[in-house]
Amino acid sequence: MNEHTDAVRKDFKSEILDENISGSETYFRVKEDAAVRICDQLYHRMDCALVSIFATDRRKKEGCFRIHYLFSSENQLQNDRVQTANGFIIIQIDIAENAPHFHSVTSRVPAANWYEREIQDMFGLIPVGHPDPRRLVNFEDWPPKSYPLRKDFDIRTKPERVKGEYTYRRVEGEGVYEILVGPVHAGVIEPGHFRFSVAGEPVLNLEIRHFYTHKGVEKLFENITLDKAVFLAERISGDNSVAHVVAFCQAVEKIAGVDIPPRARYVRTILMELERLYNHLGDIAGIATDVAYAFGAAHANLLKEEILQLNEIVTGSRLLRGMNTIGGVRRDIGDKKDIISQKLSAFRNDFRELMDLLFASPSVADRIETTGRIYNDIAKGLHVVGPAARASGIDRDTRRDHPYAAYPDLKFKVPVLKAGDVNARTRVRADEVYESIGIIEQALSRLPDGDIKISVKEIHDGYALGYTEAPRGETLYWVMIENNRIERCKVRDPSFCNWLAIEYAVLDNIVPDFPIINKSLSLSYSGNDM
Amino acid sequence: MFDILKKTLKTGTVTVNYPKKPDIAPAGFRGRPEILSDKCTYCGECASVCPPGVIWLEEGMSEKTLTLSYCGCIFCGRCEEVCPEGSIRLTQDYELASKTKDALLTSTSRKL
Repeated sequence: MNEHTDAVRKDFKSEILDENISGSETYFRVKEDAAVRICDQLYHRMDCALVSIFATDRRKKEGCFRIHYLFSSENQLQNDRVQTANGFIIIQIDIAENAPHFHSVTSRVPAANWYEREIQDMFGLIPVGHPDPRRLVNFEDWPPKSYPLRKDFDIRTKPERVKGEYTYRRVEGEGVYEILVGPVHAGVIEPGHFRFSVAGEPVLNLEIRHFYTHKGVEKLFENITLDKAVFLAERISGDNSVAHVVAFCQAVEKIAGVDIPPRARYVRTILMELERLYNHLGDIAGIATDVAYAFGAAHANLLKEEILQLNEIVTGSRLLRGMNTIGGVRRDIGDKKDIISQKLSAFRNDFRELMDLLFASPSVADRIETTGRIYNDIAKGLHVVGPAARASGIDRDTRRDHPYAAYPDLKFKVPVLKAGDVNARTRVRADEVYESIGIIEQALSRLPDGDIKISVKEIHDGYALGYTEAPRGETLYWVMIENNRIERCKVRDPSFCNWLAIEYAVLDNIVPDFPIINKSLSLSYSGNDM
Repeated sequence: MFDILKKTLKTGTVTVNYPKKPDIAPAGFRGRPEILSDKCTYCGECASVCPPGVIWLEEGMSEKTLTLSYCGCIFCGRCEEVCPEGSIRLTQDYELASKTKDALLTSTSRKL
């Protein structure tokens, strides 16, 4: 039972053209002009988070484009009553080729901002009424009327470069200066442009520009076979490999209608938590570095390295790659149970000692408390996800809210703090480290016997959603398969949601605190740019 | 401050003496794939499943050649998984740095 889908059915009876339920996903194809009202109601009245918007080119089969608004419907307390809901609601509208526009929902649901602009660039469908209709993914040198995700755009196309200009927002006034940072940065990180407007040290405005390394990953998915696509998914965001590949595999397994063996579900869970451990340690090390707490940084990096070496022993890869496949996992880890337990129990003690020292240090506290605050309403409006959201009082975690793999069988807490500053984000990660160790220990002690994979050969046509909670937050794959090939693969990396939050987090902070704020949000360029 | 010193002393030296002392990767490591020439039947199965496409089979007039480039290899081990003869396998070797791309090619061939 889902109260949210019931309410949509009741309130928009005459607007719904057809309905299709598949597992936890409920698809409503609705009249084009009703989409904004339905999204508005789902978001504002039912408190469903808008987790993605994406388009599909259905011109060949159905003679139109289709836009999908993806909402997450979860149990929640409203007016002192728990609403029963669990699943995803997908609102679909059809767009005719000769009228390639749709009504923007961004002014009602701010989280729609980048998705609508992405659709505009990749499909040439115009979000009418969008408050910021500039290009997002395609840069100004990309020729007009060239839309990479349309089916008639050949993957080998080498578009001619044209001249164009991108306009940044401007803050003007006496003593206001712009500081331009990037796209090329000093460290070995990826490219992104940050344009600060400052009056003295405090930041008045920050505008970010990304997608310098847009690689056309979604187009690439449509042009490779399923067994190869697994390895592409694994490499979209280098340090969130497992979360990505598992989300992809889960989507395909749902379409194929297969339940993977219980042992594989547990192995996947262990891998996903190992991934969280080394990511969180890396982030804590980075924050310690940026506040010049060199001792803490060195020890956090040492602990991260210990997990990476453990990963190598367990899977043959420091970044846990090559383990997942459609239908389960490729290698068993049963004989590694003891070494994982031993290492983790020592790791837990060392980590606790380090955190006690880190949080007791006045020089650390001075730099991270009240720094880079993201207020709850901003985080909610932008649909910030993962530890960054949980540090701003948003109690969401895909592992608990939409359970997958072995998570339904395991006990864990979801740490939530309210302050929304760098301190809260660091503490949420630290608390999650203990939970992850607990999850791995439970999974190891209950590891079921049996196979680690089942063979999935022919996959009938269909579509489904795969989701995981990556170290950075909710990761989504919407996959559509036709004739045993990928017709569409929409990837939603957590950083695509979280990047815009940095524009708010830095306001009223001083420029030297930007690196810490940036690190505390742990944003991926690669996962965002795709 | 005292706690920091205590932890520092307790931790001691953690760096290793690499490369003076070789650092051997654990068993099961996904390292440089090697082709066992005597077993290869040149069926091309590995070439067809290789995700980055860095294995290729050439059939000339007088010989067949199977070539693998370590340049784009992602060490996924699909070649090892599908090879019916067990003639390609991942090794524990990770020291692959080279000054030329040609040095990163490995191949086996058979006269027809």
